[in-house]
Amino acid sequence: MEKDVAQKTAAALKGAGIDFVTYLPETRLSRILPLLEADSAFKLVPTSSEAEAVTIASGAALVGKQPAVYMEGTGLFVCSYNLLTVSIRVGTPILLLISYVGSMADQKNSFRFAPTGLRTEQQLRALNIEYQIAEDPAQVETQLQNATRMMHALKQPVALLFTGAFTL
Amino acid sequence: MNRSACLESLVPHITDQLVVPSVSGQWIWGHLTKEHDGNLLLGSMGNALGVGLGMALGLPHRKVIVIESDGSVLLSLFNLPTLGALKPDNLVVFVFDNEKYSGSRISRPSATAAGTDLAAVARDCGISHAVEVRDLDSFKRESQGALSRQGLGFVVAKVEETLEHRQAERSTADLTENKYRFVRYIERTEGKAVFRGRG
Repeated sequence: MEKDVAQKTAAALKGAGIDFVTYLPETRLSRILPLLEADSAFKLVPTSSEAEAVTIASGAALVGKQPAVYMEGTGLFVCSYNLLTVSIRVGTPILLLISYVGSMADQKNSFRFAPTGLRTEQQLRALNIEYQIAEDPAQVETQLQNATRMMHALKQPVALLFTGAFTL
Repeated sequence: MNRSACLESLVPHITDQLVVPSVSGQWIWGHLTKEHDGNLLLGSMGNALGVGLGMALGLPHRKVIVIESDGSVLLSLFNLPTLGALKPDNLVVFVFDNEKYSGSRISRPSATAAGTDLAAVARDCGISHAVEVRDLDSFKRESQGALSRQGLGFVVAKVEETLEHRQAERSTADLTENKYRFVRYIERTEGKAVFRGRG
């Protein structure tokens, strides 16, 4: 992710009202993390597993925070149990910011990621999680606002899959 | 030591704390404190610690209590280093360790029966005040201390296996109804909206 894209994404998260971000860092979107850390509008929570990134965000949602969970696409498979048993079954509005590794437009795609990318959208559909693909940084502000509005309307997790120019 | 007796000893200390039980003792706790709107029912293993941690970070001025079991903590052991790193000073965790998967109905042993010491694991993860207790008086002393002071509390209570939870009265409220009860309680007591968006 290039610096200006990271800045645009971080600003769009703030503009969408996100104020609590749990994460397990990965390669493609990680440049947003120092920006979020430097901005007191965000509570940034490092975790040891995407599973707890989801449960911590869900707990925060239930006390009035507007949380996002930032993870690599592989993490979606790690946290599916927690998404299902807490976020979906109880119903907590959380925004999943997923680095769409292994997707067709992933600029760092390789044999290590393609098998994951092939199954990522299927996994979201199996969980009945509404999602959109974000490829163009010019659209990120609108997409984050739309996704946040949707997560509040559903009171469920909603996902954005970041690929294309976000993976440079 | 008996888990129900431990839970009963906590009841007089419950005022406005937020309480997240895992599957261990959820029905007993729910029955003992059914008037308390600050209980959040999850009905699943491996999630209570994370959810409670999220609440504690989201409302740092409010005390949060998590009621866990050995099997549930073992399922999400990665919570402990995160807890030790973040050290929220408004969170108290009780782990009722009977060394068994009682819910399996055939009481298969958990790893704590083979020697895993959850209080020691917690201390090694940076939860410096983690303690293990084996009798009710010690539980009362440690639990009251943890509830009354600022600081991350972690009390592992070694208890015998009982089947009392199977006889406990169960609420008919499902997870969604329970969630809204909890959320409205937060809104009443914190004076702010929890969920956003247009009506």
